[in-house]
Amino acid sequence: MTGGRSSPFAEPIKHAILILGALVVILPFYVMVSYSFKSPREIETNTGGFFGAQQEMVNEYCVKLGNPREACLETPVAFNYSEAFKKAPLLRYLLNGVVVTASIFLIQVIIALPCAYALSKLRFWGRDFVFALVLFCLLIPVHAIALPIYIMLAKVGLTNSYAALVIPWTISVFGIFLMRQFFMTVPDDLIDAARMDGMTEFSIIWKVMLPTAIPALLAFAIFSVVAHWNDYFWPRIAITGNRDLYTPPLGLREFKGGADGSIWGPMMATATIIVTPLIVAFLLAQRRFIEGITLTGMK
Amino acid sequence: MTARAPTHRTHRAGYWFVAPAIVLMVVILIVPILIAALLSFTDYSLGNPEISWVGFENYDRMVNRSTYTRMITATATYVLVVVPASILLGLGAALLINSVKRFNDLYKTIYFLPVMAALLAMAIVWEFSLHPSLGIVNKTLASGCGTAAESVLSFGWLPWVDAQASWYARGCERGFPLCFGNKDYAIWTICFIGIWQAFGFNMVLYLAGLTSVSRELYHAAEIDGATSAWDRFRLVTWPMLGPTTVFVVTITTIRSFQVFDTVEAITLGGPSKSTFVMMYAIYEKAIQQNLIGMGSAITVVFLTFVLLLTLGQRYLVERRVHYS
Repeated sequence: MTGGRSSPFAEPIKHAILILGALVVILPFYVMVSYSFKSPREIETNTGGFFGAQQEMVNEYCVKLGNPREACLETPVAFNYSEAFKKAPLLRYLLNGVVVTASIFLIQVIIALPCAYALSKLRFWGRDFVFALVLFCLLIPVHAIALPIYIMLAKVGLTNSYAALVIPWTISVFGIFLMRQFFMTVPDDLIDAARMDGMTEFSIIWKVMLPTAIPALLAFAIFSVVAHWNDYFWPRIAITGNRDLYTPPLGLREFKGGADGSIWGPMMATATIIVTPLIVAFLLAQRRFIEGITLTGMK
Repeated sequence: MTARAPTHRTHRAGYWFVAPAIVLMVVILIVPILIAALLSFTDYSLGNPEISWVGFENYDRMVNRSTYTRMITATATYVLVVVPASILLGLGAALLINSVKRFNDLYKTIYFLPVMAALLAMAIVWEFSLHPSLGIVNKTLASGCGTAAESVLSFGWLPWVDAQASWYARGCERGFPLCFGNKDYAIWTICFIGIWQAFGFNMVLYLAGLTSVSRELYHAAEIDGATSAWDRFRLVTWPMLGPTTVFVVTITTIRSFQVFDTVEAITLGGPSKSTFVMMYAIYEKAIQQNLIGMGSAITVVFLTFVLLLTLGQRYLVERRVHYS
C-alpha cells in the first residue's frame, strides 16, 4: 500500500508509534493484573515489579478471628484472590452473570429464529409490515427504553428479580434482522425437501434452518454474551439493594463503594476475575469475536 | 390439492412464528417509548398517586436550569471529543497496521482488548492508575522530575517554550493534577477513557473497509500522477472508506451519547456537574431521586438525537456514499 519508495525509516517509525499506542492500551490491564498480585505495601509504594515480591504477609483479619499469627501467613496473591471471594459472594455474582447472559441469549434465539424464518421463507399477509416494524425497532436504542421499562417493572413488582435483568433483552430486533438476512441465502429447495419428508414448519426451523445458521448464530452469540456480561447500566437500574442478584459488574462496583487502601489488591483480583473469561475467549477465537462484535455493531 | 395445502399451512405458521416477536417489540420497545414521551410532560414519580400535566416545564428546565445546561455541555463535550478522536485514532491505527509488514495481527489483538473488557472494571482500574497519590501514572510522571525526563517533557528544548511555565514543570513543582477531583480535568479524563475504549472498535471496522479497497485503484491513481502517500490517501483510500466512515461516525456517536459506566464508577457526575452526562442524569434524577418526569424528558431528548443520527446515516448510505 505504501508503494516501493518509502524511506527505510518509515517501517521502524510506524512500529514505534504502534508500540507506543499498544503500551497505553495495555497499561490498565497491566495495572489490574499486577496489583492483583501485590501486597498493600507494594501497591502503596509502587514497588515489586509486575509480580510483587510475594513475601508472606500476615492476614490481620485472620488474626482478629483468634488464630495464631503463624497460621495467618499468606502470600499476597493468595490473600488478594481469596479475599475477593470472601469479602463478597463473588461466586454468586459470577453465577448470576452466567445465568442472566445465558438466559438472555437463549430467549433471544427462541424468539428471533422463528420470526426470521417466517420473514424470509414464508408467505403471509402482512409480512412486509412486520419487517417494516423490525426495521423501525432497530432505530430504538436500548438506553432509551431503560427508564420506562423500569417503571413498568416497578408497577408489577418485578424489580429486583432475575426476570428484571432478562426481560428488556428478550427481544433482539437485531437478531431477527441478522438471521433473516442469513436465511434469505438458504436455498428454498432445502426447505421444500424437508416439507416433502413431512416435517412441520416448526421442526424445519430447528432441524433444518438452525444447523445451517450456526456461523451467523455464533457471531450473534458472541455479540450478545459480550454485551450482557459487561453490561452495567441496566443491572444498576433494575437491581436496587438485593445483593443476591448482583451481576459481576455490580459486585465489583459494590466492592469499590467501601474501598480503603488495603482493599485495592482484592479489588483488582475481582476485576481480573470478571474481565478474564471474555479476554481469554477472545484470544482463543479472535477472528470470530471481531466478526461478532463488529457485524453486530448496530447497538 | 397438493399445490394449495402447503401455502395454506405456510400462511398460518407464519403468524405463529412472528407473533411472539411482535408482542415483545410492542411491549418492550414501542410502548415504553410512548410512555416516556407521555411522562416527560408530567411530574410523575413512583409511589405518588398524584400526577399532573406540566406541559413543557421539564424541557424548559433543560435549557434554563444550570444543572441541565451543564448536562448538555458535558454530553456535548464528551461526544465532540470522543467521536473525532476515536475515529481518527482508529483510522490511523488501521492505516498503520495495514502498512507494516510484521506483527499486524498482534497490534490488532492488543488494540481490540479494551472493546472486550467490562468497561466498569476498566474504569475502576483507570481511576486507580490515575489516583493522585497511589496511581502509577502520576507516580511515573513525578519520578521523572529533576531528571533528564523533565527537561525533555517540559519542552524547554523548543525555542518558543518557557520550560518553567510548562505543564510538566508546574506539575513537578506543585504536584500533578487530580485527574478526577478537578473540574477542569475530570471530563477530559472521562473522554480519554472513552477514546481508549472505543478506538479499537473503529480500527477493526476500518481494517475491514481497507481490505475492500482494490489495488488496481492505487495503480490507476499512480498512473494519473498521485505519487505521494498523502495523494493516494486523499484520492483513493479516504473516498473508498466513505461508507465505513458513515457507519463508524453513527455508531461511535450513539455510543458516546450512552456513556454511563465510567461516570457512575468514578465521578458520579461531579465535580460540580462537570461530568453530568445524559445517561447518568437519567439514572440520578429518575431512579435515585424519583423525578420520573424529568428523566423521561432527558430520555426523549436522547432518543431524538439517536433517531436523527440513524436516519441521517441511512439517508447517506442510500444517497451518497455508494461506490459499488
